[in-house]
Amino acid sequence: MPKRDDIKSILVIGSGPIVIGQACEFDYSGAQACKVLKEEGYRVILVNSNPATIMTDPGLVDRTYVEPITPEFVEKVIERERPDALLATLGGQTGLNTAVDLARAGVLERYGVEMIGCDLDAIERGEDRKLFNECMEDLGIETARAGYAYSVADAEAIAADLGFPVVLRPSFTLGGAGGGIAHDVDELRAIVAQGIELSPVGEVLVEESIEGWKEYEMEVMRDAAGNGIIICSIENLDPMGIHTGDSITVAPAQTLTDVEYQRMRVASLAVLEKIGVETGGSNVQFAVDPATGRMVIIEMNPRVSRSSALASKATGFPIAKAAAKLAVGYTLDEIANDITKATPACFEPSIDYCVVKVPRFAFEKFQGSDDTLSTRMKAVGEVMAIGRTFEEALGKAMRSLEDGRVGIGLDGRNAALDDVEGLLRRPTAERIFFAADALAQGWTVEQIADATRIDPWFVARMADMVAVQQGLAELTLDELDADALRLAKQMGLSDAQIARLTDSEELAVRARRIGEGVVPAFKTVDTCAAEFESSTAYHYKTYDAAETEVAPHSKRRIMILGAGPNRIGQGIEFDYCCVHASYALQAAGYETIMVNCNPETVSTDYDTSDKLYFEPLTFEDVMDIVEVERPDGVIVTLGGQTPLKLARPLEAAGVPILGTSPEAIDLAEDRDRFSAILDELGIAYPAAGMASTFEEACQVADSIGFPLLVRPSYVLGGRGMAIVYDGAQLEKYMGEAARISPDHPVYLDRFLEGAIEVDLDALCDGTDVYVGGILEHIEMAGIHSGDSACCTPPFSLSESVQARLRSIASRLALRLGVVGLLNIQFAIKDSVIYVIEANPRASRTVPFVSKARGVPLAKLAARIMAGERLAALDLPADDRRLDYYSVKEAVMPFGRFPGADIVLGPEMKSTGEVMGIARNFPAAYLKSQLAIKYELPRSGTAFISVNDRDKREMVPIARDIKRLGFDIVATRGTAQALEAVGISCEVIEKLHEGSDSILERIAGGRIAFMVNTPFGGATRDDGYELRMAAVRHGITCITTVAGAQAMVAGMEVVRESGLDVIALQDLPQWEDQ
Amino acid sequence: MSKLSDSLLERTSKALGAPALLVLEDGTAFEGRSCGAQGEVFGEICFNTSLVGYLEVITDPSYAGQIVTMTYPQIGNYGVHGDDRQAATPALRGLVVRDMCTTPSSWRSAMSLPDYLREQGVVAIEGIDTRALVRHIRDHGAQRAGLSAMGGTAEELLAKVRQSEPIVGVNLAATVSRDAAAPAGPLPESHGFAVAEPAEARYKVVAYDCGAKDAILHNLVRAGCDVTAVPWDTPAAEVLAMDPDGVFLSNGPGDPEAVAGTYEQVAELLGKVPLFGICLGHQMMSKAAGAAIEKLKFGHRGGNQPVMNLRTRRVEITAQNHGFGLVFDSLGPLVPELSGGATAHERDLRCWVERGVAPVVANERFGRIQLTHVNLNDGTPEGIAFLDVPAFCVQYHPEAAPGPTDSHYLFTAFARLMDGRSDYLDIDIAADRLNGWKFGRAPQAGTESEAAHA
Repeated sequence: MPKRDDIKSILVIGSGPIVIGQACEFDYSGAQACKVLKEEGYRVILVNSNPATIMTDPGLVDRTYVEPITPEFVEKVIERERPDALLATLGGQTGLNTAVDLARAGVLERYGVEMIGCDLDAIERGEDRKLFNECMEDLGIETARAGYAYSVADAEAIAADLGFPVVLRPSFTLGGAGGGIAHDVDELRAIVAQGIELSPVGEVLVEESIEGWKEYEMEVMRDAAGNGIIICSIENLDPMGIHTGDSITVAPAQTLTDVEYQRMRVASLAVLEKIGVETGGSNVQFAVDPATGRMVIIEMNPRVSRSSALASKATGFPIAKAAAKLAVGYTLDEIANDITKATPACFEPSIDYCVVKVPRFAFEKFQGSDDTLSTRMKAVGEVMAIGRTFEEALGKAMRSLEDGRVGIGLDGRNAALDDVEGLLRRPTAERIFFAADALAQGWTVEQIADATRIDPWFVARMADMVAVQQGLAELTLDELDADALRLAKQMGLSDAQIARLTDSEELAVRARRIGEGVVPAFKTVDTCAAEFESSTAYHYKTYDAAETEVAPHSKRRIMILGAGPNRIGQGIEFDYCCVHASYALQAAGYETIMVNCNPETVSTDYDTSDKLYFEPLTFEDVMDIVEVERPDGVIVTLGGQTPLKLARPLEAAGVPILGTSPEAIDLAEDRDRFSAILDELGIAYPAAGMASTFEEACQVADSIGFPLLVRPSYVLGGRGMAIVYDGAQLEKYMGEAARISPDHPVYLDRFLEGAIEVDLDALCDGTDVYVGGILEHIEMAGIHSGDSACCTPPFSLSESVQARLRSIASRLALRLGVVGLLNIQFAIKDSVIYVIEANPRASRTVPFVSKARGVPLAKLAARIMAGERLAALDLPADDRRLDYYSVKEAVMPFGRFPGADIVLGPEMKSTGEVMGIARNFPAAYLKSQLAIKYELPRSGTAFISVNDRDKREMVPIARDIKRLGFDIVATRGTAQALEAVGISCEVIEKLHEGSDSILERIAGGRIAFMVNTPFGGATRDDGYELRMAAVRHGITCITTVAGAQAMVAGMEVVRESGLDVIALQDLPQWEDQ
Repeated sequence: MSKLSDSLLERTSKALGAPALLVLEDGTAFEGRSCGAQGEVFGEICFNTSLVGYLEVITDPSYAGQIVTMTYPQIGNYGVHGDDRQAATPALRGLVVRDMCTTPSSWRSAMSLPDYLREQGVVAIEGIDTRALVRHIRDHGAQRAGLSAMGGTAEELLAKVRQSEPIVGVNLAATVSRDAAAPAGPLPESHGFAVAEPAEARYKVVAYDCGAKDAILHNLVRAGCDVTAVPWDTPAAEVLAMDPDGVFLSNGPGDPEAVAGTYEQVAELLGKVPLFGICLGHQMMSKAAGAAIEKLKFGHRGGNQPVMNLRTRRVEITAQNHGFGLVFDSLGPLVPELSGGATAHERDLRCWVERGVAPVVANERFGRIQLTHVNLNDGTPEGIAFLDVPAFCVQYHPEAAPGPTDSHYLFTAFARLMDGRSDYLDIDIAADRLNGWKFGRAPQAGTESEAAHA
């Protein structure tokens, strides 16, 4: 069937901010879909609150609404744009849920909008466990035995029937939130009680445990004609019981016989048909009993998912692109295979390599939370690696994680394990490493498979890797010949690992390896195992080196190093910058070469750059690519810390680094050299010192005074940072710092309490400086810039202060020798402007600033790095006034880490961001809050409890809260401060005291929102428990006075004039002439 | 391999196989290690892109005369289970893999693949860059090759390769057929956890065994056929004397031109009894109708070939294994009124997909023949149906084994043909999808008896 011409315009709903369980894979799929729909000639309208996405680039679709993804706002967009159709299967669970809400509320019907891809009934059959189980029963496909509980007593009765352990799944929660496994009645009661609370329908599924079974996923596509294909099978290395997003997964399935695989295949296709997925991609998950082959279906997602992004990258088959085409009426046989260009998309990819995905965790950021992996996803990112064998791919994946590891197994970081059995039984992020260590200590494959329930096939492969490592450890580098080196490389070992094993240096290993002729080859991901010729340069490295497939070069080439796995402090923003660089350089006539290992990203889409190398971002792996590609320049400043740390070694190896030189980067990063420059330029900065012991720290404190901002000298995302107010706190901090990182001293800066913090992003070409934007933070200094909300243009800074900020930026950029982007963080206190730090690279705020001010900074940075001049670009004046405000707000993952405190501080904890745009600051701020919380308190009771430092400032805000019609309850101290100025409020006792305690009121939904600022450093105080309760019950909890102020102002604006929606295309956008 | 690397390898699960060599007719050579039996073998080099089902591939009699390369690099992961075999003994000449697994993991595994290969005398090589080999075959076409685990130089082996017998013109079917008629063997018991019980036998079917895969015979049995397999050259009169409801023509190896002993009998049978052919069987029927057969550059071998049924316009993902194919236009001139008005043949049969027409030719021996199935990758014919005699055939493998079972409906179609229905091919594959499979809890000893779902 050709495409439909009865629809002209299509609304696409994105997935909003990056949160755990819903990351940038939906930007990848959404951007692909939007591109396809545009190419097909449809008018495309997009709603997505996340500014750091490629899909929200104003040039991609016709109308881009960076607005909250809530039924209310999407309805406003529908009302204005009148789309004919709604495509909701590409925006993750958020997009799907919003579409369901709109359909149920009758909005779609009222405006005549047709849901394409998947209709409401199908979504409900896929998502509602009861309907789903009925469908499976009709098909005769087995599901785990289970029952529904609406109370703890129900659950106990069902569990008594099934026997422990049981799996608990609250209905309709994102990414399985609130679920878990109960091994006994106590665990059952705890999880069920919480699950019933979290479930919007108060329902928990109690299911027989199939923990420890083998877990599989099938990525399926279907068209309207009824053709169905499997894109990829994925086998989870980690057994059932660990969320697939937290599991190491392998494609294709490794340990299924044909009979088992084909049965799973037909079941997947039948499920799609039964559920009624009309067109598009779905993910079907199965569990298989390793002892009997009994197969049970776990669930299906009637939409593009994280696994489909992985499957797309693993096979080269663009699932989202195809899903978009199918949604508008094409059939699979009418779509060409994008990779071969010669065969149709209606086939099942065959691959001739092994793909391993490994999740990236960030438990170090959430102290107090349990790091045991379960059915509730906790990973913040992932890496994917491709090798010709599982061994090669696993080795690569393990050195891609950006966690300091250089591979798996003996790498010099192994410790004798005490409780091996315990470490192997408890699933954790580290377990795979413990398994390798246990192998090295003589544990057998069977013992490890028994303890971990990891299939013995995988353990046996790891055992081979460890065995070769142990052999190498007995040798010196000089003894290794070509065959031995090749064997080590084929077993997935990195040069760095070989160096550690042979007690030599990585560079020496590299030199010897190349001297012996042991060099890798590059093969191609082609969807067809080389059966057909392929025209797409999507490569991976292997030591199966009889032939390499890199095409000869013709044009000038620029290599862009990507950002690696998403983690806290390093997210989608950097991928956005890399993608923009690639687009801009392609447009300028260069061949672009992308290197990255993150399967969730747009940068690793095979058609983003001319060439894609899916490889780890280590010196070794990058150099191997450099040696075959011989690029004219390499960009290291757009992918965050990951590529930046390679700048020096690459330069030393003779690689041409584009833009700001590694020397200039060092100038900005070395505190002493940087301070000298600030002194030279007459720019103020906070007093600072350095200490390795508590005694030294006390001396520093004496000279600069408390409070102090303290941090380890090796920092990413503010890791290990804290503010200390007195000697006791300092002593505690120094003790911990010495334990965590004894080799690195601690930096101590004067903390400018109450200062206004400002971010500034600028471009510099060595001659001119262009300030892309000035961002005023809403929270005061002391909150990590990545976690604080900010606004551009600044809402409280005078023109003259802004002019001074621009002037400082200009002088600093030129003095440092920046060529490309520069981010400066300022603090302003008592009219003095202090420079906190300067980073001569793309910052996290670049995408937001680019959208907020209509000037694409990353694209321009790339062109400047390639030699263009700012003067020739004809940019709008950087001091121009805008008549709208844009607010960026950070999104926190606290709901995923029960136990971790939600107080903001100098250590970054957010996973993503949203943007609100409006004609005034409070309205923009409010939109940013709505984009996260989905709900605006309109009436009821506000609970206020602030620390002594904040009491005075809280008074006028409380008055406004009262005026807006809220009742106030406050803790004793806060209440006294309020009543002293005549604000009436109810006094409430401490946490558990009294008959109607605050916790009971929160649980009972009788608190509309709360303002609670923390008291110093203790995390386990009353405030902590209050904030936990707020997270659990989804109550807006504001932890800074500034945030409360902005929130209240926003509520006031809404009362007066409501919130309108604004398309980016209606705001001024700079376009290249 | 150096002594040092051998000493490292000795610590692993990998066997220290003897050095082995693979040499192609054009002089291309690959060095690896033996991972099967000792020996030196010659045959046509080919590759298979299936991701699962290596044992089914290795034991497929259609690979007689060939050295098979598996494109997926790691082979042997789940070991060997006898019930998955497609014939009692492997017929292929040799096996080429990137990495052979000696430590399989599967509840059904009885032994490791390398042990099985040694037991069966199959020469195999591992440790070569199979992707480079496949690309070479793709670009330079199928050719003779030699595989040796006996020592010697590449030059010596090349000389022998060039003297070895080419596959064209050789009747390999005769080498893998049977000596005497016999009922099809029992269904594999161990598949009971996944595969449905057979339907009651309603049809008496005689199957020409030119190297039939067991899964084909099993599928016929499951579809309700009482199957008697007969040797490849059984005279038509003898078959007709058995008074069958239908005759089946099996797959088989090699050059169809060399199997006159079968297709001459097929010419006798067409019109006298309902016929169904698979793979070589399709070529036998085509030959019987006087068609030309061509050798493909590198054949179709794998489990992901898209085929459209022109009558239902549904796409089936199919398992294939053939190096020769029918030249469709040689069956006869188009019948324009049955071919959407078209009068001229086109080489690329995907034109019929675009036109939405299942064209019909006028065959001088058997009347009207319809093109029913087309390969969407390269526009080659995949299936024909005789409109004036009860017969149809497909080039691909509806029994899969290994591969997707989308085309399982063709066994049902054969039953319908024997029932005399004219719409026998018009089956919705979605409705047929789960037929033949079994879900739900396997009746295992020691588990609870009550199954959650029937």
